[in-house]
Amino acid sequence: MPRPGAVIEVDRNTPPVLFHFGEGVRLEKLPLGARIVYPPDPLEPIAHAERAIKRALAKPLDDDPLKSLLRRGMKLTVAFDDLSLPLPPMAAPDVRQLVMEEVIDMAAEAGVEDIHLIAALGLHRRMTADEIRHIVGDRIFSTFWPDRLYQHDGEDPDANVYIGKTSAGEDVTLHKRAAESDLVIYVNLTLVPMDGGHKSMSTGLATYRGIRVHHNVKTLMHSLSYMNPPDSELHHSCIRQGQLIEDTVRVFHIETTVNNHAFPSIANFMQKRETDWTAQDQAMFLGMKQFTDLAPPAFKRNVFHAMRAPYGLTGVHAGQVDAVHEKTLEAVRNQISVRVEGQTDIVTIGVPYLGPYNVNAPMNPVLVVCMGLGYLFNFYRNKPVLRKGGVAILTHPCRYEFDAVQHPSYIDFYDEVLADTTDPQEIETKYELRFAEDPWFRQLYRKSHAYHGAHPFYAWYWAAHAMDHAGDIIIVGGDREVVHRLGFKCATTLEDAFEMAEQTVGRYPSVTHMRMPPILLADVE
Amino acid sequence: MTWYSGAGLAGVAGTVGDVMRDVRRVRRGWHWDTPRPRSWPERGAVVPDRASDLGWARQEPVRTIRFLIQRGLLLPFTEAMSHPKVEGREWVRELERPVIFAANHSSHADTSLILHALGDRARDRTVVAAAADYWFKRPLLGNIVSLFLNTFPFSRTGGAQAQLHSSSQLLKSGWNLVLFPEGSRSPDGRIQEFKAGVGHLANETGTPVVPMHIRGAYQIMPRGQKLPLPGPVRVRIGKPMSPQADEGSRQFTARVEKAVRALALEPSQPDIQGTWIERWQALRPRELPYEDSNEAVVVQPAPKPPAPRPILEVLPQSEKPDAPARSAAPRPRASRPKRR
Repeated sequence: MPRPGAVIEVDRNTPPVLFHFGEGVRLEKLPLGARIVYPPDPLEPIAHAERAIKRALAKPLDDDPLKSLLRRGMKLTVAFDDLSLPLPPMAAPDVRQLVMEEVIDMAAEAGVEDIHLIAALGLHRRMTADEIRHIVGDRIFSTFWPDRLYQHDGEDPDANVYIGKTSAGEDVTLHKRAAESDLVIYVNLTLVPMDGGHKSMSTGLATYRGIRVHHNVKTLMHSLSYMNPPDSELHHSCIRQGQLIEDTVRVFHIETTVNNHAFPSIANFMQKRETDWTAQDQAMFLGMKQFTDLAPPAFKRNVFHAMRAPYGLTGVHAGQVDAVHEKTLEAVRNQISVRVEGQTDIVTIGVPYLGPYNVNAPMNPVLVVCMGLGYLFNFYRNKPVLRKGGVAILTHPCRYEFDAVQHPSYIDFYDEVLADTTDPQEIETKYELRFAEDPWFRQLYRKSHAYHGAHPFYAWYWAAHAMDHAGDIIIVGGDREVVHRLGFKCATTLEDAFEMAEQTVGRYPSVTHMRMPPILLADVE
Repeated sequence: MTWYSGAGLAGVAGTVGDVMRDVRRVRRGWHWDTPRPRSWPERGAVVPDRASDLGWARQEPVRTIRFLIQRGLLLPFTEAMSHPKVEGREWVRELERPVIFAANHSSHADTSLILHALGDRARDRTVVAAAADYWFKRPLLGNIVSLFLNTFPFSRTGGAQAQLHSSSQLLKSGWNLVLFPEGSRSPDGRIQEFKAGVGHLANETGTPVVPMHIRGAYQIMPRGQKLPLPGPVRVRIGKPMSPQADEGSRQFTARVEKAVRALALEPSQPDIQGTWIERWQALRPRELPYEDSNEAVVVQPAPKPPAPRPILEVLPQSEKPDAPARSAAPRPRASRPKRR
């Protein structure tokens, strides 16, 4: 029986705790009385994933069985999430592959000749052929690539259509093929509560015009937090858009959830609580620590990015979007929810090597902010773990390191925009549109493997709530010049960071360490 | 006394002396350095040896050696030079019976590109028809090429019966056959008219033909060029075609030629490459990805090809590519009448 998540108070016998440090790891001793929040153990995966998928498609929620929706002569589109999910990428076979193979088997049986598969990228980068092959598997790739299996292009005027406005005046756009289809089947993988539901279609198959209406500072500042959809303005906006899409095209939603078994056996110590570490785990930690201390960054990165997570399928639901997503959220919360009593003066978070936007690339400083303050900080319900005006301490080397292919607009954002201001509202007003409409960034997004010109802005807005909420933000081990450019403070050691934090929150502060990843959702009372 | 009998340097010198003595005796006996003596009788008519079909190249351990040469040398070199993009590999993934691969021919690189495009399983069972008057003019060259590519001499001038003699026996013994129906390399990269041999062979043996098109090989190594240059290549494989009941060899050849020409066109050709449903069915996995002893999941078997014509046991057991599997089940006779 997997153990639920836990909050442990540090005493004299508590072992040092693991901090992720980019492409490295650290062991830190926390002060007596500090709390460590651990995620629940991985849930038992479903033994026979294929059978569970068949069942879900045969008995969908609030919808007809998929088989009855497929007929000869129809226009069918299957859309699926890109490689930003799950993290790290899943060991083959990916659950999306298993689901899509079942769907395509049914379509073949029904004689559906006109079928297209679209990777719902939104404004993310185009994937390489090998990355797509990893998601969909050899069989689908060999059959459909590249004519019938391709990637969404949010900047192609001929491939997107304008659907209309929601009741709140939000523009809605959609991929033309999806809009003209008799049936759209969306295959989703939900790792965190933010994903899935109406957000899948309304962002994955939309253009900049449709995405900017909720990916903005105002909406995100009212999303407290966007990891909890009922309290998220971002999700309310997506739901309105999704409902309009549902009025336009018939959508059949398939959502899958996985457990939080995020690390392969070689890095099993990262998965375990320190109190459970065996001699072998300690040896593995020491080996990895020495390796990450000595190896050049590019080599370390290749080793880390080659890791594949042995996630196990914990749920698959199909049918009408809202009914499906409700079940999915329940399954996700079962896996990642941890009850935490009260807020804290200081919260510490180790930022790992990987976020949704740097698969097979270094995590640049803007993405460190997005990951640490955007994603990891927002893993809460009700209230943030950190009290208003408290201090957030992150650990990451935070080097000036960019991938010129994937993140060209991030380089300009860092060099030009952050040199001027770090205020999200001001950045949005002064710079976003210029970057979004830049013809060179647009070209790289469409033809190369670059994120959209507006994407670094979204990464920055993602952290707007945390920057507003925290009194101070300290990055331990970061490059001093880079951290100052980001508008934060830099500390050499964690002890130094606590000393600096005392100037903001006073003597003897309460400290809470969020031991992520594997991810957890703090249910703060 | 032999050189290794322990007599040291003197022993070696003695052996060399023996060899030299023998050579001298033969040279004097046959007058190597003078014209043929007049006193000798007239020279008789030369009786040519029976043409070799290089059976040794299809036996162990040569097959294993060739596998190692291809995997370690030929295929990595092909990959590095041309990064071949292969479409339609599903049609040759699980071949249930021998087929003829009919491809356009514009370069010496074509053969290695075709072998690269086939999977390990199909490649190991494939022989390549090489022009007897070009590749086998010099026996050493012919043997080396055969070791590398599993070629066999294919007469371009000997008429239909001569072609059938070796090719049909190979097909009947379970080998796939790579044929270039144009007969020789295209002088300008464009597809030339197909010769009727491929249709004749398919018709006589009841073997399906898999049309293939190679784009870019001419740029890598056109006619007259000695060394290959790097360049992108696309190999497109169409779905297998069988001669119809009332179709003659020339008509079937024309249909194969049309299919190869269609494969050259953009975009993909569903008629030739198959619809997505056909390709999806061709890629159906044979085994379940998990084991379950309690509850069996029924998986529909892949659609079987039309019943083949009988396969005769014409080669020695050791030459057959998959001898046990092939001889296990006798194949039923097809209903199509045999055409002559």
